[in-house]
Amino acid sequence: MNPEVMTAPSIDYIALLPYIIVGAAGVIGVIVEAFVGRNGRRPIQLVLAFGSLIGAFGVLVVNRTTLGLQAEGAIAIDGPGILFMGLILLLAILVALLMSERQLDPAGDAFAPRASALPGSDDERELTTRGYFQTEIWPLFLFSVFGMMLFVTASNLLVLFIALEIMSLPLYLMAGMSRRRRLLSQEAALKYFILGAFSSAFLLFGIALLYGYSGSVEFSVIADALAAEPGQTALVVGGVALLSVGLLFKIGAVPFHAWVPDVYQGSPAPVTAFMAAAVKVTAFGALLRVMYVALGGVRWEWEPLLWIIAGLTMLFGSVVAIAQTDMKRMIAYSSIAQAGFILIGVSTATAEGLYASIFYLVAYGFTTIGIFAIIAMVRDAGGEMTRLDQWAGLGKRSPLVAVSFGIFMFALASFPLTSGFIAKFLVFESALAVDNLGLVIVGVIASVMAAFFYIRVVVIMFFREPVEGSPAAAVPSATTTLALAVSAAVTVILGVLPEPVINLIEQAGVFLR
Amino acid sequence: MSEYTFNDPWWLIILKVLAIFVGLVLMTLFTIWWERRVVSRMQNRIGPNRVGPFGLLQSLMDGFKLGLKEEIIPKTAHLAVYWIAPVISATMAFLAFAVIPFGPMVSIFGVETPLQLTDFPVSVLYVLAIASIGVYGIVLAGWSSGSTYPLLGGLRSSAQMISYELAMSMSFVAVFLYAGTMSTSGIVAAQEPIWYAVILLPSLLIYATAMVGETNRAPFDLPEAEGELVGGFHTEYSSLKFALFFLAEYINMVTVSALATTLFLGGWIAPWPLSLWDGANVGWWPLLWWFVKVQLFIFAFIWLRGTLPRLRYDQFMRFGWKVLIPASLLWIVIVAAARVVRNEFSVTTQELLLLGGGLLVVIIVGSWVLQVRSERRERAQVEAAKAEMDKPFDPYAGGYPVPPLPGQEFTYTSRRAKAAVVEGTATRTATAVLPGESADAPVPSTSDPEEGTHA
Amino acid sequence: MDAYAPILVLGLLAAGFAVFSVTLTTFTGPKRYNRAKVDAYECGIEPTPQPMGGGRFPVKYYLTAMMFIIFDIEIVFLYPWAVAFDQLPLFVFLAMMLFLFNLTVPYVYEWRRGGLDWD
Repeated sequence: MNPEVMTAPSIDYIALLPYIIVGAAGVIGVIVEAFVGRNGRRPIQLVLAFGSLIGAFGVLVVNRTTLGLQAEGAIAIDGPGILFMGLILLLAILVALLMSERQLDPAGDAFAPRASALPGSDDERELTTRGYFQTEIWPLFLFSVFGMMLFVTASNLLVLFIALEIMSLPLYLMAGMSRRRRLLSQEAALKYFILGAFSSAFLLFGIALLYGYSGSVEFSVIADALAAEPGQTALVVGGVALLSVGLLFKIGAVPFHAWVPDVYQGSPAPVTAFMAAAVKVTAFGALLRVMYVALGGVRWEWEPLLWIIAGLTMLFGSVVAIAQTDMKRMIAYSSIAQAGFILIGVSTATAEGLYASIFYLVAYGFTTIGIFAIIAMVRDAGGEMTRLDQWAGLGKRSPLVAVSFGIFMFALASFPLTSGFIAKFLVFESALAVDNLGLVIVGVIASVMAAFFYIRVVVIMFFREPVEGSPAAAVPSATTTLALAVSAAVTVILGVLPEPVINLIEQAGVFLR
Repeated sequence: MSEYTFNDPWWLIILKVLAIFVGLVLMTLFTIWWERRVVSRMQNRIGPNRVGPFGLLQSLMDGFKLGLKEEIIPKTAHLAVYWIAPVISATMAFLAFAVIPFGPMVSIFGVETPLQLTDFPVSVLYVLAIASIGVYGIVLAGWSSGSTYPLLGGLRSSAQMISYELAMSMSFVAVFLYAGTMSTSGIVAAQEPIWYAVILLPSLLIYATAMVGETNRAPFDLPEAEGELVGGFHTEYSSLKFALFFLAEYINMVTVSALATTLFLGGWIAPWPLSLWDGANVGWWPLLWWFVKVQLFIFAFIWLRGTLPRLRYDQFMRFGWKVLIPASLLWIVIVAAARVVRNEFSVTTQELLLLGGGLLVVIIVGSWVLQVRSERRERAQVEAAKAEMDKPFDPYAGGYPVPPLPGQEFTYTSRRAKAAVVEGTATRTATAVLPGESADAPVPSTSDPEEGTHA
Repeated sequence: MDAYAPILVLGLLAAGFAVFSVTLTTFTGPKRYNRAKVDAYECGIEPTPQPMGGGRFPVKYYLTAMMFIIFDIEIVFLYPWAVAFDQLPLFVFLAMMLFLFNLTVPYVYEWRRGGLDWD
């Protein structure tokens, strides 16, 4: 009288422990927000955030040899997946260090005491004078990291979509929480939310079309269906195109880049660092997995698409960045250009391209976090000073900070002895290996153009007399200093001694299906 | 699970549809008269007694009168929506009745057929869906009138209906757990030995509360709170359009009562003393039992209206969100857990009841402890407030001149002392003062603007 | 599909009746125009000017609507689970409890932060 029509799925909880740790820490964070008094929240949240991120990274390192499909094939924990998750966790730890900074802003941290208070209202001023702090940012941050880890290992289009939403929704909120320039921040949040929701819809339509074609949302089944029936149909082409739109939006590739400058400019600097570094890594991780695993059978369809987008992205980002007078916007356009370079690696559809892309993401992620750490430090009483001319003479006033920033700029401009050089070299090499000379030439041209505005920043910092009202970089607390030191060290070490990391990436092998 | 197959001939379908339609209209007329009579009795009045025997035709005459009245459409109204709103309301009210079972198999002109228009595996879900569409009628009516009161009434009404719909829908989960189906006839059949009103009493209580809120009836008739909102969403409606809303409201009342009967009171199944008679559950007799049970609920509606004063809106929403929803969630968990224990670990019902009794004791003791603690805290707060009052009055509290509170004494402070106060507080908070602001920014006071709950 | 045909018939009848009633008064009722009569009713005073489309109303209603959607989705998951409960293994019960817990956490958070209070 008790027919079992359904059997419980077998789930290896040990293999899924990194996700569980981060996700559960987020949930506990929400409970802490609900029940702990205001003064007790911050220490608990810090312990939860750092504990879970470091713990998850530790478990990941211990578990690194147990590869395979988990949770009934919904999650693929494979070499690249573990690499991406590890990279995301490391970047997240650095971002958490930036987020816990409390010395730079005279009023406290980088986040609004209450994001719902009307900008410039008496309410807001009162909250500031009373020294209120927002600690909800920590659970949001952890949820986002949880979504990212799921996003890069999703082996199922539905999990992919859910992970995308788990990652994005907290980000929309975090973008609107800047303590300074509230209106700009709220505008950024709203733009990001509306465009992000739009791109999610594209992704969902793509999923629907691919499901219509193959009858499954699993990557492996879709790949098999494509292999069994290589003839292209409208469903596949439409599905691939719409799916790519959704993913390329998160990457910020042209023509889906419109949100990047505004959102980078308006968000609080630590959140911008998080978006520029971790989100980009995540989106590329998912793009690589979807393209290589699920859609590898129709790569003749998407390769030309990616060539065009990569070329456009590099050229557009580099050209428009030249005209920028705001530091954050310039970095935003530079990040668009960098996405174009990484897309070269993706578009090769070879293992070398995969490794080159991963290496590029490692290099780019750490450099970006360093850049935003410094942007948060160069400030006056009203907040960050992001106009380029305000940076004049920084080299004289705060030489150490200026030198670090110079290193990052050289890395982005891919000068030798920095991580950027090796990264770009590997990417171009992988493109040449598949005889894609045209794209490499476009890439070199874009690099040369990009070098101009990176060098310009260095010139402004070191060879321009300081103007009135441009103070030295503020002295940060130990956390920001640590994040900055790590990013700078990684940037230099990867440029001088890249072999261990390259070996690590190549040992990781390819995607499982 | 005995679910009927519905393959009535077309003339029978039309017959049943007509019967339901006419029945509902008659039921509405009757209920209005019945309500007026009962409420009158409760208030020591007589009520309508002029038209027809006992005034029975009063509502019918009112209907005719409304039809002959001038129709006033405000010039600010959005015409198309204004016209369609009562149609939606009335149509959905009728439609929800399609799946209610009135009785067992009977023979109509030689065709064996159940006394029910139709049924399918998701009947209850269908009722909920139709009820949700009915909300559109109300919110559109309020919005399209282009007037303040209807807009507010429509908003309140929709917020209220969706809030109580949650509790209502959750109260069904336990029923589905036991019945194993969402088909209305299946649920009635599953109550053959014992009604769910007995074994799932908390579900019934939650449902009974939610259904009053769902139908906008007293004491939850806030959308039509005459004192605040005139007529609520139908303020700007007159003539037969108004009559349609009235009709919809009373049909909804009948529908939720019928649903309660179906889900908890065993539908058309005869109650205990009657069930001893073999013929009680066959033929046309169950229709009578069903009708009596539905009238029971309708009488409860009327009784509530005659007895209880209207709630305030915040009390009402608090009750819905902070009492009904958590209670139904908890109840779902308890029922499911009990069932899982019974299914998985061969525990007898007796042991389960003992365990439940033990848990109940724990809960009661626990809540008593909590109660004592919260009372103690409250007392401490009162003491603290008293101590606050006893403190000498500070005319410059928070950096601004303030008047003394009741019970406080104003004492003269010299100008120099005031200046010293301002100076002192300003330096204390200097670290947190925004740059560009003058030093005499507002100084923290003791009250906490963010969350009052975090004492 | 047979089970749904009667609903269509009932719907047609009910809608027909409603449309008939709505249009009927245009012919049966008297018509005496009066400028004050067709103004929006506000207890006899000049009506508040309303912007096209109804204007703004408290954000609380949106909050209620969002909460409703969250709980409605919860219920949509609860129903099939409840109907098939006896055929499901223990795992599904635990999964549903986890789901309920995860939904309760933000609910409790909103409660504590005063999101459920109407001032």
